Amino acid sequence: MSNVILFNLTTVLFGVASALYLGALYAKNEKISAFGTWVCFLAAVFSTAALGVRWYESYQMGIGRIPVTNLYESLVFFAWSVNLFYLVIERKYRNRTLGAFVMPIAFFTMVFAVYNDSSIQPLVPALQSYWLHAHVITCFVGYAGFAVSAGVAVMYLLKARQENAKISEGVVGLLPACKMLDELVYRAIIWGFPFLTVGIITGAAWANYAWGTYWSWDPKETWSLIIWLIYAAFLHARVTRGWHGKRAAILSIVGFLATIMCYLGVNLVLSGLHSYGGG
Amino acid sequence: MADEKRTPSPMDRVWDFFISVKLAIVTLIVLASTSILGTIVEQNQPPEKYHQIYEDWAFAIMDRINLFDMYHSTWFLLMLVLFTVNLTCCTIDRFPKMLKVVRNPRTKLDGSLEKSLSLSDRWKKKGTLSEWAGKYAEALSATFAKPKVTEEGGEVHLYAETGVASRFGVYVTHLSIIIIFIGAIAGNVAGFKGYVNITEGESITRVPVRGGIQIQDLGFTVRCNAFSLETYPSGQPKAYKSDLSIIEGGREVVRKTIVVNDPLQYKGIWFYQSSYGQAGGATAQVTVARKDGTPGSTLSLSANEPVPIDGYGIVRGVDYQQNFQGKGPALQVVVEKPGQPAASFWLVQGRPDLDRERGDSLVFSFRGLSSKMFTGLQVAKDPGVNIVWLGCALMVIGLIMAFFLSHQRVWIRLAKGTDGRVEVVLAGSASRNRLAFEKRFEKLQTGVKATGQ
Ligand code: HEM
Repeated sequence: MSNVILFNLTTVLFGVASALYLGALYAKNEKISAFGTWVCFLAAVFSTAALGVRWYESYQMGIGRIPVTNLYESLVFFAWSVNLFYLVIERKYRNRTLGAFVMPIAFFTMVFAVYNDSSIQPLVPALQSYWLHAHVITCFVGYAGFAVSAGVAVMYLLKARQENAKISEGVVGLLPACKMLDELVYRAIIWGFPFLTVGIITGAAWANYAWGTYWSWDPKETWSLIIWLIYAAFLHARVTRGWHGKRAAILSIVGFLATIMCYLGVNLVLSGLHSYGGG
Repeated sequence: MADEKRTPSPMDRVWDFFISVKLAIVTLIVLASTSILGTIVEQNQPPEKYHQIYEDWAFAIMDRINLFDMYHSTWFLLMLVLFTVNLTCCTIDRFPKMLKVVRNPRTKLDGSLEKSLSLSDRWKKKGTLSEWAGKYAEALSATFAKPKVTEEGGEVHLYAETGVASRFGVYVTHLSIIIIFIGAIAGNVAGFKGYVNITEGESITRVPVRGGIQIQDLGFTVRCNAFSLETYPSGQPKAYKSDLSIIEGGREVVRKTIVVNDPLQYKGIWFYQSSYGQAGGATAQVTVARKDGTPGSTLSLSANEPVPIDGYGIVRGVDYQQNFQGKGPALQVVVEKPGQPAASFWLVQGRPDLDRERGDSLVFSFRGLSSKMFTGLQVAKDPGVNIVWLGCALMVIGLIMAFFLSHQRVWIRLAKGTDGRVEVVLAGSASRNRLAFEKRFEKLQTGVKATGQ
């Protein structure tokens, strides 16, 4: 199916972009990373087209629905969001070193997606609901924010070590100052947290409409709450002395690992209502 | 300022404990990590299942700390109580202070305030103090917000602000959490959840709830008129519907066909399409007609059930094949007439007139299998659910106010300079999105400087 071809092409582009950004860092050459930005734009166009084509193909198969209802679709949508989110912050903060830490996340997501069943499957009745689409879309836009934040948090931890030791050399030396990285870790979460909140609320609304309970402590629901609590803890860490900077960055990374666990682990490892993600 | 020095009393220390944000961080992290347990240990399963998985000693410990229903265990609920107390105390402590700051802002741009603001500019103008104060007040109202004017010690201070709501965002978010808790508690205490199967054509007035321990009387009757299932070519269920009626006082008050995601609600009780199944064996529908074509009755033959036809004999449906000799679904029938050997023959659903060839006084045609289905309904009453939705809406609004609005403030100070000209100082600050505010401030700067050119 042609949408899968477009997605595979996007995977290659994400890989090329990541390589360009990393290469630019090691070669200390800005021009290379400028190419990286162009490749990301191209990938954004192809992946958007791929989502559109998949949506059209699902209608042709008589099971028309927004392409966000199984593991493959959620993976590619997540990577699509990370890429767009990255392009926004690259322009806003006018800094391309971020690409080396954020784009690999999009790339590995797509590589993982390739190993999953990419066929368009019909929906069981419970999944035929706009609440579901709103739930998945808002969740993954939120996850994309957390992914960017975690990538930048890694940069912060690397840079903080050098700044403490008053040295600045090698690749890490090229990274922006800790103050800006810390601000970006926070801004990405400020973007992701409301989306995750709306994601949990739409998920509860969908569950309430589908089977009458908005919260049943199902593993997938509980894990999204766990992520939400961790990022709530992060937000409060930011406003209290002593938790600024390093601890906040660690919380951001821990939060993203919990997000991966929630998103992948729960479906593959634990049972629960949400087995749709099993692909 | 004496009381600052004295050592805090025990009460102070307790109060400081309950208002500390560090406690909030720790509670949030502890809630998050303990919740993980409930996703690893499957909740609310029968004890036998746990015994299969866990050793006896492990089972004993887990059972004692109520790990098998941990989200309703006392220790988990106590943590939620601690969390709520922490949140309430923190709000009681900080809200009045914030209100005071918002109610009487620093309208005068004094030296210390000016130093603390990164965005500022100075210039000089010929003319009188009041002339320029008026012009700048107008410029501010047009491009930013109507300023407050204070005159003091020969100086004129203009103060304008936008986005004050952003300060309240955090408190709206925090309040929404308490509202959600209240809604959840109301639902648990005054609501119920149950499950019931209704066979087509039958009705119920009571529903087993609390996992079947209790029976809940609905106060009205629910009848399932018909159930229908639609599948994808692959046989996977595409849609399943139940035609339900609510009967109260002998009258049908509501009739609705429900599907998954589109429940029926009556008197606060919701009925959700949840599952379905076969109610008892399938029956073969066989129409009987006389040789001359006048139509007769329709028989529904259960497997091997003898059905007498007066003046004719006994008919039994004995076998069914989905695809009989390539001709599609067909029913094998045995007819026993008094004093004659039993005759058996196949009726093909696709060819209703096939039986005419037998030349019997009655002609049978197989109309296909039909089995009575039952519809499985989730039944729920949750008086707190709308409170929860209100809380959710408030939370989103609070987050948007806290994160995406910014409390932006602009000051202008005009003073008579030693050289007789008017010294003007413009300064600004924003509680959030400083990058965005800098751009707005630059535009404001050029606008204000250009007034009266
Ligand atoms: C899950 C529960 C909670 C959520 C979702 C939440 C949400 C928030 C948010 C979004 C902010 C704004 C952060 C920022 O401006 O960057 C905030 C600030 C704050 N929260 Fe919470 N909060 C929660 C629980 C608590 C608790 C239990 C306390 C108790 C002490 C608390 C105290 C505070 C304080 C003191 C601030 C700083 C307010 C300011 O910026 O002046 N929060 N909270």
